[in-house]
Amino acid sequence: MMRNDETNDERAETLRLLKESAAAFAANESPLTRARALRGAQPDFAPAFWRKLAEQGWTGLLVHEQQGGFGLGFAEMAAVVAQFAARVAPEPLVPTAVFAARLLQCCPEGELAARLLSTLASGDLIASVAWQENAVQTDPCSVQTHAVPDGSDVRLSGEKRFIRPGTACEGFIVSALAKGDLALYWMPCGVAGLVVETELQADGSRAARLRLDGVRLNADQCLARGAAAADALARAFDETLVMASVELLALSRAMLAMTLDYLRTRVQFGKPIGSFQALQHRAVDLFIQQELTSALVAQAVSMLDGDAGVKERAAMASRAKARASDTALTIAREAVQMHGAIGFADEYDLGLYFNRALVLSAWLGNGLVHRRRFAAQNPLRSTVAA
Amino acid sequence: MKTNSPGDSKIDWNALDNETFRGEVRLFFEEHYPSHLRYPKTRLRWHQIRDWYLTLSRQGWIAPAWPVEYGGMGLSPEKLIIFIEENERWGVGRAPDMGLNMVGPLLIQYGSEEHRREYLPKIIAGEHIWCQGYSEPNSGSDLASLRTEAVLDGEEFIINGQKAWTTLAQDATHMFLLARTDKSVKKQQGISFLLADMNSPGITVRPIRNIAGHEEFCEVFLENVRVPKTRLVGEINQGWTIAKALLGFERITLGSPKQAQYVLARLEELAVTLGLDQDAGFMDRFTQLRLDVADHAALYARFVDQVKRGEKLGPDVSILKVWATETFSRLASLMVEAVASAGATVGDVEFFGRHADILTSLYNARPATVYGGTNEIQRNIVASQVLALPS
Repeated sequence: MMRNDETNDERAETLRLLKESAAAFAANESPLTRARALRGAQPDFAPAFWRKLAEQGWTGLLVHEQQGGFGLGFAEMAAVVAQFAARVAPEPLVPTAVFAARLLQCCPEGELAARLLSTLASGDLIASVAWQENAVQTDPCSVQTHAVPDGSDVRLSGEKRFIRPGTACEGFIVSALAKGDLALYWMPCGVAGLVVETELQADGSRAARLRLDGVRLNADQCLARGAAAADALARAFDETLVMASVELLALSRAMLAMTLDYLRTRVQFGKPIGSFQALQHRAVDLFIQQELTSALVAQAVSMLDGDAGVKERAAMASRAKARASDTALTIAREAVQMHGAIGFADEYDLGLYFNRALVLSAWLGNGLVHRRRFAAQNPLRSTVAA
Repeated sequence: MKTNSPGDSKIDWNALDNETFRGEVRLFFEEHYPSHLRYPKTRLRWHQIRDWYLTLSRQGWIAPAWPVEYGGMGLSPEKLIIFIEENERWGVGRAPDMGLNMVGPLLIQYGSEEHRREYLPKIIAGEHIWCQGYSEPNSGSDLASLRTEAVLDGEEFIINGQKAWTTLAQDATHMFLLARTDKSVKKQQGISFLLADMNSPGITVRPIRNIAGHEEFCEVFLENVRVPKTRLVGEINQGWTIAKALLGFERITLGSPKQAQYVLARLEELAVTLGLDQDAGFMDRFTQLRLDVADHAALYARFVDQVKRGEKLGPDVSILKVWATETFSRLASLMVEAVASAGATVGDVEFFGRHADILTSLYNARPATVYGGTNEIQRNIVASQVLALPS
């Protein structure tokens, strides 16, 4: 992804500037009061804020220049994503500007994908990827939804679930089996035969649940099929796992920092509670998890900007998502405990992070699912060394 | 076979490219290290590892980290890491290395010219074997409370006291020790660093059998032991500062993922042998540990890169030791649990015609979370020095 005409130093400088501008923007434009106010809203994020993100160029950061994007790498995207995750911003940067964008980008050259991509990059299209069918699915390419030919059209039937963003999106990239091959279609909202329901998530956002009952799509709505579709989905899925891990790490850092502040300042028995060894040791264990996650996520991001093989990429992506998910949940739980009653109060901001951590750790598969995916793809050596 | 006599030990190893250097080291280990000593289950005694020590000494490789002028290889941090990685890769056993890793570097930094002339060549030659006299029966984690006392009497110190948990003291010719030289000041400020000959009258060594049945550590009694004043390292009452100077690099060594990686590989073989790879319950736990080890390697690499860039390690390096040893311990426990009723059988245990040692790791994991500063002490360090939690 990294442009060849740039040296490492130049890239580091670009990265630093990007991070600073995203940090300043997020701090000024996305206070926690904004995230708090959007909980349970319809749609569950602010389209006007999405527009501002697009004006900064962040919705098209990963999109190639031919489609109106910036063609930057994952390190750059991670720098932006982390800043908004740290503010619990509800806009779908990772689901749309990473998952949908990268999936469209990885589809074979086609007029439809290119058009969708450039509208997405400019902020004029919110798209979601509808790949998942059951809660414990480990393989994004294994689907039950099927597409049957009907003249020059296809008819799609099946169910999709846990789709983010679930509100305000204009269409879905949906996966289905067509004559035994995986295929990806562009399915606009509002087509006949499509029922969109939403399931309320812990952070006040809504995940879409789709029921497709013979949804009729023109054959030219097909974005990719066969190996090309499977490769594109697997790649975009792995890339999204890593970017979701970046978000989870940002949440973990924010929650641990809040907790350490609290431990330093909350006084009981005449002392700051952070002077008690029982709490100090627990805080260190959380720090260890944060640092393991940080080292791993950094490796995973630089892997995406390099040229890892498919197997290595999947292994690293699942490792990152598993560790980042479990770390965020562990820190979230311990943060509430160490804060005591105030940690459980909705008025206190820790809860915003707690609830977002629940959503992001569950999304695309939690720690358990990704450890199982890793194990399935990396079986124990059947030949035992002497 | 390529050997370098000490005569051509002036090779500038740092000038080689990394892969050439790695290749040379690897080849030498593979050709010369005794195969029956690979991945030893317990600490090797001097009589077992002596020949290898002398082989390395003749090769000019016994002190990779020391400057060339003192007989070392003078490796850069980057090359040193490669040297250590190749040791670990080939399962090269640890020799009694307190001279090489602790007292040697310390004398280079704080010793007198006489100390360096007298001791360093004999460490290189394998004539002097050192042990570390720090812990005492009543001074473990609170090491600075130590009570072994050295009183100056003319040109000699007279030492009285008792050291404990002294690793391989029974093989040592010399001991570097911390002794109290001033009882009237704050405990850290009244300690001196001394060098003693183990043959001195008044020193008695009694090996202590551990729960695995081995004698790897000892009690050392010091009764009116006379040590020349010239064997004081640094200034009087500056021993604590000198002892602390060594802790940095030790903590990254203690935080290596190799021990856990080794048990993980053994547990993987065992799981296949026993068909546990078909057991979902076992596999969930095994995969968790597998990733605990893999992810630790990512964190370790971050600290190694810091060393390679020549940066000083901060107190956060303590987290490596905690995670490395606790992951090792969890793996060792799963190994014992996995074999159920065979989990108490000593030595190599036979399963379907294959053999596996079950208990060694469980035993080795016990001191791992204790020595080099207990994991609780490491957590204290991180809490106060990294997380800035109040005391």
